[in-house]
Amino acid sequence: MSQMTGASSLVASLEAAGVDVMFGIPGGAILPAYDPIFSSSIRHILVRHEQGAGHAATGYAQVTGRVGVCIATSGPGATNLVTPLADAAMDSVPVVAITGQVPSVAIGTDAFQEADIRGITMPFAKHNYLITHPADIPRAIAEAFHIASTGRPGPVLVDIAKDALQTMTDFNYSPSVNLPGYKPKLIPDNQSIIDAAALITQSSKPVFYVGGGVIKANASRELLELVQLLGAPVVTTLMARGAFPDSHPLNLGMPGMHGTVAAVTALQKADLLITLGARFDDRVTGKLSTFAVNAKVIHADVDPAEIGKNRFADVAVLGDLKNTISALIPALKAALGKNQPNLTPWLHQMNSLQAAYPLGYDKPHDGSLSPQYVIERLGKISGPEAIFAAGVGQHQMWASQFVSYENPRTWLNSGGLGTMGYAVPAAMGAKVGAPDTTVWAIDGDGCFQMTNQELVTCALNNIPIKVAIINNESLGMVRQWQTLFYEGRYSNTSLESKRVPNFPMLAEAMGCVGLSCEREEDVDATIEKAMGINDQPVVIDFRVHRDAMVWPMVAAGASNDDIKIARETAPDWDSQEL
Amino acid sequence: MAQHTLEVLVENSPGVLARVAGLFSRRAYNIERLSVGPTADSSISQMDIVVNLEGHALEQVIAQLDKLINVISIKEIVPNKAAPAVHDTQPDYQN
Repeated sequence: MSQMTGASSLVASLEAAGVDVMFGIPGGAILPAYDPIFSSSIRHILVRHEQGAGHAATGYAQVTGRVGVCIATSGPGATNLVTPLADAAMDSVPVVAITGQVPSVAIGTDAFQEADIRGITMPFAKHNYLITHPADIPRAIAEAFHIASTGRPGPVLVDIAKDALQTMTDFNYSPSVNLPGYKPKLIPDNQSIIDAAALITQSSKPVFYVGGGVIKANASRELLELVQLLGAPVVTTLMARGAFPDSHPLNLGMPGMHGTVAAVTALQKADLLITLGARFDDRVTGKLSTFAVNAKVIHADVDPAEIGKNRFADVAVLGDLKNTISALIPALKAALGKNQPNLTPWLHQMNSLQAAYPLGYDKPHDGSLSPQYVIERLGKISGPEAIFAAGVGQHQMWASQFVSYENPRTWLNSGGLGTMGYAVPAAMGAKVGAPDTTVWAIDGDGCFQMTNQELVTCALNNIPIKVAIINNESLGMVRQWQTLFYEGRYSNTSLESKRVPNFPMLAEAMGCVGLSCEREEDVDATIEKAMGINDQPVVIDFRVHRDAMVWPMVAAGASNDDIKIARETAPDWDSQEL
Repeated sequence: MAQHTLEVLVENSPGVLARVAGLFSRRAYNIERLSVGPTADSSISQMDIVVNLEGHALEQVIAQLDKLINVISIKEIVPNKAAPAVHDTQPDYQN
């Protein structure tokens, strides 16, 4: 135990919690903390906007599995963290945010740069703190890291009044916490495992419905073993891309609004959903009352509030998914020994759907560049070890559809909140977490214009990410909805980004290499040129066809049975035996 | 619909009432009555929350409440159907 300021106690606590990097911007209220940060072993990366710090912490956490840390001052510094923290909450990412607060005597007086960030983040943060006594800092930090990283991960905010940072205190950090109201159940009940195994052996049309929880629990290897044991088809949600190899013949791809016909139909026609770390989101289920109507449900999750939230669970398995799947493997082996269901007809149906309706796209008739082709080539040339971060919209769906993901933690995106502007800062955080891996941000021209300032941070801090702007000079997904549902009235979706800004020049101005490509024959050479530049960030402006659309599609609020493979074109169900 | 009383033990920490009230509001549940009082242990308070919820909605509200870090335990008092609802000043939006 030693005497130091609250600020030094904060930094010593972060060091003791194992923090090696944090992303942030100083300001008045947090300034005392930046003095000990100056001499700390923790690498502090000075971002250009606090939102960038938050998404970078998220990207870092998603790639490494460790807690991502961001730091900002009071008021606007803190409120700029709101979007990335809400984003991390929706996608269950372990993030700790440290914010300065005005001095405790000024709290509640509308002081300069005062905002009630604890109140503001209360609805979505997993937990948060307002610290006004320096002695409380080490305990709050230890609890914040524990809460953020255990159970269902999520963001935790620690708001610290300036005087608590300035006052002398005893430093006394202990990683053990005492939280009587927080005891996540990690070991599943044996009976629930036996019930789940029994239900699986009674099923002739089972599907593994795999969500992002499998990645959070680092349970991909166990999942592969479980899937091979049963031999049932697998669907991987947008958050679970990479949890199970795309190259595996049992992987039907992504379900949901822009899922494959096979994945969507597998869920619809299944008699059992083996749900692992997924949450029956509306983008997966479509109209809930028509979702998988004949299926029983096994729902395994670490969060008890997810079980039964949107869909009744016939068997609920509460626990960490690595433990759950590890327990299910021997239980299922034993159950299959007594009763081996015949899944051959079901697999045959799914294979025939896969063969009849593979993901595909038509190249534009006018000879302009196809966005899907660009993304497909990015995936092929970069290889299965590369990490991809996407923004939100058409390019995000294509990046999920046309890049083949073989490994967990190689696909980052804003799935739940749908945060445009996520890609560049998340890729920055990912590259910091995995400096020896190729990291691509696949971004839209709309998204890119929201957060590209972090390329300056990347250029100055030796964080050589690569950015592929899929420039269709529009808010493409919104434009697609206007085409389909608003009679082509393109209200405020034209960004004119083939005229302004000049993306390669903007990139060069920010210390990056700027490239441009608008012909299919130049795509490979441009990507390979970018792959060869590893001492600087690279931005490629891929100038693509404006009217490409994302297919298949289930319209919002529609039943998954009404999936369309192209405009007004349903699969030919009569030719399928389902 | 029967009224259910939830006996909720919470850490006696600043903001805990806002956390509980905020949860009900953002998940679109009504609170019929709410009282907060001390317990023998000064670090723990008790909230008695009366809700007009049943079945799935009641289970969800309990599960979501339990996720709050400052909520230590939730006990559901079985409703006495013979006793009439005392007061119903708010429309019930659950269906």
